[in-house]
Amino acid sequence: MARFALRRLVVAACQLAAVAVTVFALTSVLPGDTAVVVLGEHATDEQVAALRERLRLDVPPWQRFAEWLAGLPRGDLGTSLLTGTAVSDEISRGFATTALLALLALAVVIPLALAIGVGTGLRRGSALDRGLNGVVVMLDSIPEFALALVLVALFSLHLGWLPATAAGASGWSLAAEPAVLVLPVGVLVCKQLCALARQVRVGVAEADSAEYAMHVRLHGLPERAVVLRHVLPNGLAPAVQQLARAVDGLLGGVVVVEAVFALPGMGSGFVGAVMARDLPAVQGYALVFAITTIVLNLLADLASRRLVPQREVVA
Amino acid sequence: MRLDRRSLFRGALAALAVSSASACGGASGSGGRLRVAFPTAGAKETLDPHTSSLFVDQARAKALFDTLVGYADDMSVVPRLAESWEPDATGTRWLVRLRQARFHDNRPVTADDVLYSYRRIADPATASPARRQFAAVDFAASRARSATELELVLRAPDFEFPSAWGAPATEIIPAGTGDFAAPVGSGPFRFSSFQPGRPAVFARFDGHWSGAATPAELEFVPINDESARVAALMSGQVHYIHDVSANSASLLRGDNRARLLAAPHGTMQAVALKVDRPPFDDPRVVRAVLSGVDRQALLDIALSGHGRLGNDLFGKGLKYYPEDFPQRQRDPGLARSLLREAGADGMEFELLTSAADPYFEPAATLISQQLGDIGLRVSPRVGPSETYFSDIKNNGVAAHTRTATLPVPTFLAQRMRGDAGSNNYTGYRSAEFDALATRAASTADEAERTRLLADAQRLARDSSGLLVWGFSDWNVAVADGVTGVRPAPPNSLDWARFDRVSPG
Repeated sequence: MARFALRRLVVAACQLAAVAVTVFALTSVLPGDTAVVVLGEHATDEQVAALRERLRLDVPPWQRFAEWLAGLPRGDLGTSLLTGTAVSDEISRGFATTALLALLALAVVIPLALAIGVGTGLRRGSALDRGLNGVVVMLDSIPEFALALVLVALFSLHLGWLPATAAGASGWSLAAEPAVLVLPVGVLVCKQLCALARQVRVGVAEADSAEYAMHVRLHGLPERAVVLRHVLPNGLAPAVQQLARAVDGLLGGVVVVEAVFALPGMGSGFVGAVMARDLPAVQGYALVFAITTIVLNLLADLASRRLVPQREVVA
Repeated sequence: MRLDRRSLFRGALAALAVSSASACGGASGSGGRLRVAFPTAGAKETLDPHTSSLFVDQARAKALFDTLVGYADDMSVVPRLAESWEPDATGTRWLVRLRQARFHDNRPVTADDVLYSYRRIADPATASPARRQFAAVDFAASRARSATELELVLRAPDFEFPSAWGAPATEIIPAGTGDFAAPVGSGPFRFSSFQPGRPAVFARFDGHWSGAATPAELEFVPINDESARVAALMSGQVHYIHDVSANSASLLRGDNRARLLAAPHGTMQAVALKVDRPPFDDPRVVRAVLSGVDRQALLDIALSGHGRLGNDLFGKGLKYYPEDFPQRQRDPGLARSLLREAGADGMEFELLTSAADPYFEPAATLISQQLGDIGLRVSPRVGPSETYFSDIKNNGVAAHTRTATLPVPTFLAQRMRGDAGSNNYTGYRSAEFDALATRAASTADEAERTRLLADAQRLARDSSGLLVWGFSDWNVAVADGVTGVRPAPPNSLDWARFDRVSPG
């Protein structure tokens, strides 16, 4: 297990380096720079040149990249070109909103997906299986923004039960206004539920009909023990990987939900940094997202090996 | 039919938004706090009024600070901190008398504060968008005659100089101010809290010279997504929303929970043909394009009828706009013959466009079809919205552009004169035009000045390469029951003016 983890950490370091170089190169080739974005359309060429010099945008890109890289071992993600504050502070401003949304969505989606996946996996082909499958697939097939807008139109504008947007609230203070969170969390749950529930269903169905399950049943083990000791550990292993993807998506990819409900999280912060050509901030966000993805996948692999030790997990 | 977020939202609301006024009712329950929603630019936002180029920054600056004058809807000037003013006979020396006003810290607003503010704006280090407005001021010769009397000296005559005092980013700040973390102004609201990209809260300033504001508090709520702003308004979360699209405008007109306030002629919609390079350095090709465009179809389709027809001139509805020029009509026959004459039949060119304005892309599609009818092959090319207006300054041969309301002489001086630099999007250079504009600025008689400006505009209309096809409405909306707010064009005194607004 330790050797496996070590090997994965080495691979992760290479992946991070690749992400850093790629993001820097891609952002560098975008038209315009921070000076142009900050000064707006009516700035003179002299004003742009002066700001470019002040922000050190006239320094060769490779040199700026090297400086940024040199700060990483100290945990320094650099300084935002736009605000002059630490990039880590910029990122942490949106973290609370994103983390709160992700935690709440997971608190709902994990038990719900387990209940649906296990229930339908053990009752393959039943009316319950077909009905629940149909519902989760339908929810998954509706584009995120469409689902969000329809829910707003119905529950906020027509029925008046829930606020349409966060309207200025953000961060952990959102927890004090739970009504604001119902619709965005609902959309996130609907979008994550299908893949996770179906993965659980497939794994459980496969384990339930496997030879070892039939074998222990023939030995007279009670059905409850068969399911709890043999079917679920084997059946849930593939779902752990899917759960890692869901968490990853919730921490970095909820830009649409953040926009529709006016929630300033990490997704919109990242988009804002790209729009402003704030290269250190873009690099910082990309690095944080990459680390999140790598760590979650590593944890998922370790958990899978723990659940099913004999299973070979591809690094 | 294209299925995008706006059309989907509109469809969903149209199906569900029946007339039950009522939903959350949160806004009316917020007592004396007026909540206004604007798009946010995140970390780019600032409370430094002299560097603000965003509408939300300008709206906040209007709440916290004052200017010497304001703009009426037609961009003529009306007194604010300046009670009166007069030029000398040459138009180079202006005497300004200030009214009795106080900053939020109880210091009086003085002539020194005005001089400090204008010096700071003119300083290249400030990088103010209003810098050019004060480029001709001789600050060494300008002086405070007394606490309330100010003498501003210009290096060249300008009888339209008071226009500069009401431009965006020309607010008066206390002398010596360099830090805007908790700014002190003389506006109707005083600073309470602000973080870029987050809500800003200001409190009523009881000592304002025009009397205390109606709302006890003013909160700026950042909501970037236009659909989300409309939803927040209709569900009662905010009282006022900035920037409503034509689609949402139609929706709001049929709903009794909100009221649309549409100011006509809000934004000029145009295509800049670069006359300093081929193919538009040939005046016949420019005239062919001007004659080949169907402005009425653009108004009906691209603006969904929410606007006014353009006549290749900036400033419809504003002071000095020559209303008597005949409307340019589409004439495909003339366009084709001009192209043949110029040897440009079947010519190809790219039309730059972007999502920076919701009307650009539909207009680009229509224009390329219309010009296809006269034998031109036009390919719309979409550029990134965040740097679009900077990109088109030097790139390409034709680009969509827009300009919010400004005084006409300001537009002519800053966007069309030969010395306007890269802000002259079409690259127009005409010694005759520049001479007319200079003569107008140095003419004291208003009737004569009007005639000279009309002559300059007549000249530019045919040769500057600016194809003004329409003026889109300037839409904001308020919740039902909100009073004290009226439709007003951008940059005018009454746009985003919240001191007389009652949440209802």
